[in-house]
Amino acid sequence: MVEATGVPAGLEPGTPPVLRLAGISKYFPGVIANEAVDLEVWPGEILALLGENGAGKSTLMNVVTGIYQPEAGEIVMDGYGVNFATPQDAIRAGIGMVHQHFRLVPAFTVAENIHLGWEDTPRNASAAVMETRTRELSEKFGFPVDPKARVADLSAGEQQRVEILRVLSRQARLLILDEPTAVLTPEEAGELFRSLRAFRARGNAVILISHKLDEVMDISDRVTVLRGGRNAGSFETKACSPSMLAATMVGREIVRRDLRVRPPGAASVSATPVLGLSGAGVRDGRGVMTLKDVTLELYGGEILGVAGVAGNGQRELTELLTGLATPDEGRVLIDGQVASPGAAAFAHAGVGHIPQDRLHSALAPSLGVTDNMVLREYSQRPIGTGPFYDAAEARSLAATIADIAEVRVPGFEMPVRNLSGGNQQRLVARREMRISSKALVAAYPSRGLDIGAIATMHRYFADLRDSGVGVIVISEDLEELLNLSDRVAVLCAGRLMDVLSAEDASIERIGMLMGGKVGHMPGVQG
Amino acid sequence: MTRFQRFPVAPTGLVLFWRAAAIAVAGVIVACALALSGRNPFELAGLVIHSTVGSRFGLEDLALFMTPLVLTGAAVTLTRCIGLWNIGGEGQFYLGAVGAAGVGLYVSGPPILILPLMAVAAMVCGALWILVPALARAWINVNEIITTLLLNFVAGFLVYWLATGPWRDRVTGALVSTGRLPVAIPEMWGAVHYGFPVSLLVVCALAGLLRRTVWGYEVRISGANPGAARYAGIPMRWRIIVVMLISGALAALAGMFEVAGTVHRMQGGMANNFGYLGIVVAVLARGSCMAVIPAALLVAFILDAGIVLQTQQLAATTVLAITGLVLLLIAIADELAHYRPVGGIGQGKASA
Repeated sequence: MVEATGVPAGLEPGTPPVLRLAGISKYFPGVIANEAVDLEVWPGEILALLGENGAGKSTLMNVVTGIYQPEAGEIVMDGYGVNFATPQDAIRAGIGMVHQHFRLVPAFTVAENIHLGWEDTPRNASAAVMETRTRELSEKFGFPVDPKARVADLSAGEQQRVEILRVLSRQARLLILDEPTAVLTPEEAGELFRSLRAFRARGNAVILISHKLDEVMDISDRVTVLRGGRNAGSFETKACSPSMLAATMVGREIVRRDLRVRPPGAASVSATPVLGLSGAGVRDGRGVMTLKDVTLELYGGEILGVAGVAGNGQRELTELLTGLATPDEGRVLIDGQVASPGAAAFAHAGVGHIPQDRLHSALAPSLGVTDNMVLREYSQRPIGTGPFYDAAEARSLAATIADIAEVRVPGFEMPVRNLSGGNQQRLVARREMRISSKALVAAYPSRGLDIGAIATMHRYFADLRDSGVGVIVISEDLEELLNLSDRVAVLCAGRLMDVLSAEDASIERIGMLMGGKVGHMPGVQG
Repeated sequence: MTRFQRFPVAPTGLVLFWRAAAIAVAGVIVACALALSGRNPFELAGLVIHSTVGSRFGLEDLALFMTPLVLTGAAVTLTRCIGLWNIGGEGQFYLGAVGAAGVGLYVSGPPILILPLMAVAAMVCGALWILVPALARAWINVNEIITTLLLNFVAGFLVYWLATGPWRDRVTGALVSTGRLPVAIPEMWGAVHYGFPVSLLVVCALAGLLRRTVWGYEVRISGANPGAARYAGIPMRWRIIVVMLISGALAALAGMFEVAGTVHRMQGGMANNFGYLGIVVAVLARGSCMAVIPAALLVAFILDAGIVLQTQQLAATTVLAITGLVLLLIAIADELAHYRPVGGIGQGKASA
C-alpha cells in the first residue's frame, strides 16, 4: 500500500492541487457524517471516491459543492482557501456535480436544458441561437448531443451526456460524478470513460463516486476510501487490487465464495419448471407492447438472472411473474398450471417477491415493524383466524423474522422507515423467503445497498436455491448476475433476446444482447 | 452544544404536553382579547367554568354536544385510516336525520322496535348518501373531498324542503320543522340520553375493528401505502367503498341521535356544523379512534363555552374564532412535539 503524498509525477513542482480538503468534519446530531477528512485532487487526474452506503461520500461531496457547510476544516482550491456559502459559489469556483438522478427538465430540448438558469445565456435567445451554442459546446467538450432532441426522448446515457455538458459549459474544472455508470449499458459506460479521459487530458480533474471496483481499477489514477465518515486511506490505483480496496472499504477482508457452487446436500434442479411464462405479452395504456412474446421457464433449485438496461420490460416481467399484472397475451404458469390471477394468489401459491422499490411497494413506511412483517401472513393462522387478527401473534412473527434477518429492532411499533435501507431490505427478503416455497422474484435486490448487505442478500438467494426454490434475480449489475446465476436471460425493448447458460455468458456477450445486437447468434427471436 | 432536532416520530407525552400548553396559550389570548374589548375575563372564565364542567346542567350539555361529535369525528377518523377525507359528515348527518324522522313519523309501533329501525334507516340513508362519492373514488379516482363536500349543500336543502314541505308540522303549522316524533331515545341522566354511551361504545368497537381484525389490518395497510396494498394483493377498491359507507353511516347515526334524543323534531340547519366539527375532532385525534373521545370533549367544551359567551352579548362568531385559534395553536404544538433537544454530538466529540 503506497500512500499518495506530494506532487504527483508529471506536474511542475509547486503545482497546487485543484482541490484540497483538510480536516473536513460534518456532524449531524448523534451522527458523525465526516470527521477530519483529508483529500486531494490534482490537475489531470481521476480520483475515485469509494465507500459503503453511509460512509459519508455524499455528505462530503455536499460540503464540496456548497450544499452543506463543514463544522471544521478547510476547502482549498488551487492553493487558496475558499468558503462556499451556496451551491452557486461552488459552481462559480469551477466545481460541477453530476448527480445520480439527473436534474433535467424532460419536456425541454437539450439546448433549452443546457441554457436553463445560466448567467451566460443571451437575453431573448431564440431556439436557433441556443441550438448553435449547444452544438459548439458539444464539439468543444467532446460530448456529442442532439441540441434539438427533447430530453424525455433520450436514453439514460444521452441524458447523462447533457447533464455533464451542462456542468462543463459552466467552466467546471473539477467534475464530480455520483455513480455515473449505474444507469448505463456497458457500451455507454465505455463512451463515458473515453470522454472523461479526454477531459482529464486537458488538465482537469474528476472525482468519481462508485461502488464498482472493476470500474475504479479501470479508470481512476488514485483512490480515496471513506469508512465511517473518515478517510480510510488514499492510494495510487496501480498499487491497489480490488480485494484490497473492498477490504479497506468494509474494514475487513471479504471472502468471496463462488455462489454458483452448491454445497453438499443442496437440492438438485427440478425436472419441471416451477414458474414460467408462455408467449406472454403486456400492453401499456397507449396500446404499445412493452413486453412481447416472452417464453421463460424457471426451475426449482436454480438462480435465473435477468439482465437488461432498466425500462426494457423488467417491470412488466416482474409484475407478470408475481401476479400483479395479468398478461394481455400468453400465459403465466405455476408448476405447469395456469396461475390464478392476483398478487395474493401468487403469494399463497408460494411465489415471493422482493420488489424494485421497497419503500413504494414492499413496505408501508409509516407503519410499525410488526405491521410490515406480517404483510404476507396476516390472514393465515395463527395471526388471522377467520376475521380476527391476533396482534400478539403478529408481534411474535415480526420478532422471528427480525431474528433470522439479524436485524436489531429497537421497537416493533417504530415506523419501519426509521430503519436503514440495508435492514429494511433484509427484513423484506426474509419475509418473502418465508413464503417462497416455489419461487422468489427479486428485482434489483442490491440497489442502494452497501457491500456487506449485498453479500448477505446473495447468501440468502444461494441458500434458497440450495433448498430447492427457483430464484429470479433482475439486475443491471452484470457482475452480480454472473456471480449468482445458473442461467442469464437478457431483455431488450420488451423482448427476451436470449437465455445464456452461465458457461456461455460473458459481460461482452450480455452487453451486446442488452444493446439489442443479436450478433452472430442463430435462431434467436427478435 | 445543545440544539433542537426534528425527529420523525412525536412521542404521545410530548404531544399532550405541547397541546396543554397550546390550550393555555389560547385561553390567555382569548382573555386578552376580551379584556381589550372591556370585559372582565376572570368573571367570564368563572361563568364558563360554572356552566360547563362546574354544574350538573353544564355537564349534561357537554355530553349532549359530545354525542354527535364523537360519531362525526369517528366517521372522519375512519376514512383517514385509508388515506381519505370524508368532508361530507354534515350531509350524512342530515340524511341520518331524514331516515330517522321518516321512520319515527310514519311507522308506528313499540319504541323497542321503532328506535332500532330508525337507527338502521338512518345509517342506510347516510351510507347511500356517500355511495356515489365512494364508487367514484374507488373506480375512477374522483377526489372524495370535493364530492362529499358538495353533497352537504344538497342534503341541507333536502332537509329544509322536507321540514317546510311534505313533512312539515301540521299541528302548530308555524315552525320550520316536522312535528314532534312520537318516540324518543330514553334519557339516562337528566337530559343525557342513551345515545351518549352508545356513541362511546361505537368508537371502541371501531378501534377494535381496525386493530383486531384482518379487515382492519388491510385498511391500515391500504391507507399507509397503496403500493404495498397492491403488492400484497389487497382488494383496495372494496376496502375504500366499505370504509366510506361505514363512515357515512356513523355520521348518519349522529343525525339519528340528534333527532330522536335531543331535538325530537327534524328541522333545517339542525346539523349545527357537527359534520364539519367532526373534521376538527379527527384532526385533534391524530388518526386514533380512542383519541376521538377526548378530542370530542374539547370541541364540545368550546361549543358550550361559546354559548355561554353569547349569553353575555358576545357575537356567535366568537366560537368560530376560538375554535380556529385552538386548532392553529394545536397544529403548532403537534409540530413542536417532533423536536427534542440533542445534547452534545456523536460520542461526545466537541464540534468546532
